[in-house]
Amino acid sequence: MVGGTVGTLADDQLGLAAVRVLGADVLLPSVLTRRRPLPDDLAVFQRAVLTFAPGATSSETTVWSHWGMTQTLHRLDAPATGPGAGPDASWLEALEWPKLTHQLSILAALAVPGADSAVAQVAADRPVDVARGFVRAVRRRDWLQAAGAGRWLSVIDGVPETLGLDTGLEFVAQMAGADARVGLHVHAAQHIRAESAVNAVSAGGRG
Amino acid sequence: MATETNAREITRDLDVEMDAFLSPSEAEGTYRDSRECAALLLIGGAGGLLLSPPTPRPKKG
Amino acid sequence: MSTPRTAHMVTEASRGGRESHASRVSRSALEWVRDHQDSFRLPDGEPALDADANWTLKPLGELAQLTFSIRAHSEPGSARHGHASELLGFAWDQTRQGGLFVDLLRGEPFATYPLEIYAAFAAAGLRHPGFEELAVTVQRTRGWERIEQEPNRRLGMLNSERRVGLPPSGDPSAALARTWLGGLPEPWTFERTAGYWLTHVVFHLTDWGNTPRLMPAELGGYLAAWVPAWLDTCLEAEQWDLSGELLAVAAILPDAASYTGLADAVETGWARIADIQDAAGGIPETGLGRPHEPARDFMHCYHSTLVAAFAATLADVRLAGVHPAAVQEGVA
Repeated sequence: MVGGTVGTLADDQLGLAAVRVLGADVLLPSVLTRRRPLPDDLAVFQRAVLTFAPGATSSETTVWSHWGMTQTLHRLDAPATGPGAGPDASWLEALEWPKLTHQLSILAALAVPGADSAVAQVAADRPVDVARGFVRAVRRRDWLQAAGAGRWLSVIDGVPETLGLDTGLEFVAQMAGADARVGLHVHAAQHIRAESAVNAVSAGGRG
Repeated sequence: MATETNAREITRDLDVEMDAFLSPSEAEGTYRDSRECAALLLIGGAGGLLLSPPTPRPKKG
Repeated sequence: MSTPRTAHMVTEASRGGRESHASRVSRSALEWVRDHQDSFRLPDGEPALDADANWTLKPLGELAQLTFSIRAHSEPGSARHGHASELLGFAWDQTRQGGLFVDLLRGEPFATYPLEIYAAFAAAGLRHPGFEELAVTVQRTRGWERIEQEPNRRLGMLNSERRVGLPPSGDPSAALARTWLGGLPEPWTFERTAGYWLTHVVFHLTDWGNTPRLMPAELGGYLAAWVPAWLDTCLEAEQWDLSGELLAVAAILPDAASYTGLADAVETGWARIADIQDAAGGIPETGLGRPHEPARDFMHCYHSTLVAAFAATLADVRLAGVHPAAVQEGVA
């Protein structure tokens, strides 16, 4: 999906900033398909990680999305700053479900299969709250937040059956129209759900 | 390295905006509920169902 | 007017706790209803058949239904019990002790609202034999059984029949299955209309909170999961009457305390409702509260305020640790 396009942004500082904004999702295709990214893509990604390191005044989500990028490099076994336990996520634990969902949605790039960050742990601990946040976001017609929440719901267990996540994801994508960020999260969620369904069948495990 | 330095200068300005991009506040909720569209089904003041079949006319002859 | 309020405060103080938002709203909203009792009066003469029932009979019927429920959830001898009884008696007098329902039924024998409103009085033991005689005959027809109406309304009819002691014209679980809520729909398909459908299904199913155990467990779990999300959005959209109804639903849920996050959502809801309430205790149907709006008139406030008085009473009883089922013993 992204392969090859990132390289052309290398000389462009705004392009580099765009890579930083998209965060770990720039390499999402590689992460989801477990394939090594193109070297050029990787180079730009690494450059964005180094250039836009968070400062003392950066917000928690800025710090975490940056960590997500370094973690992605680590996962792809690229030379990076190395793995880390991750920054503090206690600010997230204290949030009520609407704010929790909003913050998680901003950090939806961290919602990938097998994610073991502290943020992912908070999400995993509060499936009903995130599901409520998804409902709230749809009712508020905040499609981007709904898509981000939906993506988190695709990587955690304990989501109430009655939520109807699959139809919900379709609905959000179609209601959002051409919003590429919504499309990204929804496609990621659908891909993750399809994969985990396949895995569940082959493992004879949970459905 | 010149590129690195250059990048740092530009991104110093970008840093501030970057944080806004990476921690946006929540969008305002938009509430719109379905409207009832009962006009076609209800008689209103006219005294007859709009969607009822036409009144049969007596056949001539 | 100030005497009962003082008495109540003394009780609160003697409990040694700060008064909850729900408790305060239950008191002040009922106070507003008492202060506006005259506005519930039916127009002079023989109004019923000509007047727009939505502006005359509907408020009176709601007054009867909700004050009956408030009374059923209040300790005999308490100020709240007394006020609710007085308002219920007033409403019954307005119907000429049920005589109005006979006229209504003769005028519109196959309308369901006369039975639905009458049933609230009947549940409270206020009955009119003449009305019931005609109602029995009408209700025995196949036509009555097949009146086409919204599924939640059908559930309301079944509850009305039960209250009056008529044989049921249908199966309640089949009626429930046809409602929006009965299908356990995707919670993100909720919008305002669905909100009213679902709250009324809960009210009819549980006889307005008197028999919470009649709610199927699966439904209780579903509601406990999603009411917080719906309530939050209704509060943000400034839909105060629907917010009040959802708060009533939350208070009716059996074992509400066992559901994660429900109590917090309810507490937030009551704080918001208390905030929107005007100095006289009134709550507008929708829209911003003080100081953004001009004075609120009766028609714009009565429904939200009555609903809030009802819901806050259920919540207050819940907070006091009395299960509604225990209160129900006191209901005839």
